[in-house]
Amino acid sequence: MNSTLLSKAEKSYIQAGLQSTPPSRGDGRGLADYRAIALETGVAPLANGSARVSIGRSPHDGAGGTEVLAASKLEVESVEPGSAGVEGGRVSCSVTCSPAAYPHLTSSALDDLQHDLTALLHESLSHPSLHPRNLGILRGTKHAKAWVLHLDAVVLVDSGNVCDALFMAARAALCDTRVPRTRSVEYKARRNAGAAAAGGGGGVVGASAAAKGQGDMDVDEEAVSGFDTRQIQSATDFELPDYWDEGEPLDGRDRWPICVTLNVVSNVHFLDASTQEESATPLRLLLLFAFESTQSVKLQGMRTLGSSELTSSQLADLLKAGEKYAREIWQSLNAKLTEESLAKIKERNKF
Amino acid sequence: MISFTSFPSKPQATSYASSSQYGESKRDLMDIDDEDFESQGSKLTCPGDGHGTYIDDDEVIASVAGTIERVNKLITVRAIRSRYNPEVGDLVVGRITEVQPRRWKVDAHSRQDAVLMLSSVNLPGGVQRRKLESDELQMRGFFEEGDLLVAEVQAFFSDGAMSLHTRSLKYGKLRNGQLVVVPPILVRRLKSHFLTLPCGVDLILGLNGYIWVSKHVKESEQEGEEGFDAEAVYSNVNDDIDEPTRTAISRVTHIIRVLTSHFIPLSDTLLLEAYEWAVEHESDVRDLLQQDFGDALVSSVVSGK
Repeated sequence: MNSTLLSKAEKSYIQAGLQSTPPSRGDGRGLADYRAIALETGVAPLANGSARVSIGRSPHDGAGGTEVLAASKLEVESVEPGSAGVEGGRVSCSVTCSPAAYPHLTSSALDDLQHDLTALLHESLSHPSLHPRNLGILRGTKHAKAWVLHLDAVVLVDSGNVCDALFMAARAALCDTRVPRTRSVEYKARRNAGAAAAGGGGGVVGASAAAKGQGDMDVDEEAVSGFDTRQIQSATDFELPDYWDEGEPLDGRDRWPICVTLNVVSNVHFLDASTQEESATPLRLLLLFAFESTQSVKLQGMRTLGSSELTSSQLADLLKAGEKYAREIWQSLNAKLTEESLAKIKERNKF
Repeated sequence: MISFTSFPSKPQATSYASSSQYGESKRDLMDIDDEDFESQGSKLTCPGDGHGTYIDDDEVIASVAGTIERVNKLITVRAIRSRYNPEVGDLVVGRITEVQPRRWKVDAHSRQDAVLMLSSVNLPGGVQRRKLESDELQMRGFFEEGDLLVAEVQAFFSDGAMSLHTRSLKYGKLRNGQLVVVPPILVRRLKSHFLTLPCGVDLILGLNGYIWVSKHVKESEQEGEEGFDAEAVYSNVNDDIDEPTRTAISRVTHIIRVLTSHFIPLSDTLLLEAYEWAVEHESDVRDLLQQDFGDALVSSVVSGK
């Protein structure tokens, strides 16, 4: 994927270092060591959820390091034949690479790269098994509506291991995402003409609060009208109640996958390759793991990049190792996200 | 193994102003200029303004942070962070980007790619030899895309691109090590840009900010000592590098990164001092990645000066 020029001598220097005993890397890291990762959520004020991740940023002057920004935006979409809308909502992802991150690439090569990364992110995050349950708004009627979640990621700097950073940022942004509360609204012909002074011959709006707490905001509730206590049968529209928070968190926070890139050089593998190491690596194995809880793990996706090949027994070992690394990332990422959300609550309580 | 941190809360863009080394030197230069103009007795009205300046209300204002240079009435500001400005005789480290008829294009961290002519390299079979057609056909046998080389700036073309040459036994293809890229302004002009640290590491400080850190090759074993051995000079194969040397190479690399991230110009004595300090205080090479360790290194080295 990355075509940084490297001389043969540099390549063999890196490879020989990885294969020597004990293995050594250009910057003295161990094979399974990540560079320092910085993470921040809520960076885009207009998005429903956003995050910025930087891997390997220099602690001294903040230069260098792979940097990815991800933001999610919810949009209402009507579900009807001919439109892209799906009942229960859908997730759509896109990745943009800043030309500044890849100065050596032509614009068509950059498009290819963006397309590859978009396909990777979209195919894994919009998979039905990960679908969040609270993206529907109005269901079943001919006016059905649903949220479409756009997740846009921008690669600002690439200094190696962009896939891991991409999925970390995507995961953090999705965990940061809040879905606005909605309640259904129905239009009815007026039954009691003398009841309401405000006339106009139109209709009375019967509104129902659907804030049952969790999940099913699309289920219609009792009308609060003093005159009419029947069930709302045909919700035609919805409204957004004003509420103190921005909505409830997107469902399925724990499920969003973690990506681990295993860089394989003959019989050793290492994590978090720098740009130079990436160009010296013949094969990279991308593993996507989704953790429902600490026990259950699902392999959500797998890709091999590069020209080299793997034996199946090697693959089995790599899978086992990858799961271990992914679990560590998952735990520390969750800890960091909890810390971020606590900080946000503290920030809000100041006012 | 993996830990997440936060981004620093405040942008550190103001650190230039607060760092004493830059704040003061700039002020000094400014003062001198003012005095000069006043002693001439003429008010500065329409001076020639060069790169890095603009005119606002009859005053020349710097548009970039940097050092002031004056040639008569032409005032230019040379930016602190810029690409490399080549001068004839400079030692540079570059990377081949393209092979063209009778020449190579070389990336040397400058505004344009440098050019290395086939006639400016040492060819097999003696230094004084006519270039043959067969040499043109096997140019990739000497240098191919991605290869690193050390060369000297020979001349400039009319469009400002530099022409390099490697017609010395000290110059040529690089192997047995790794490259570090630093801002070009941090590499000072030294007596020699080929340094040998006692830890078995050779350093080539390219004035263009490319620094080659490699295993030490003994003087007597250097290629071409007696006669010119093209096989060895244009070889792509590394020597065997043992573990302590590798560690030393990555340690030196880290030290260079730490020093340059604090914007400290590199010199041989400074690097040596920093290396000794690092060996004395660290338990592992990875320590140098920690911020506090790097800060301690810098403060001790700078105060010792």
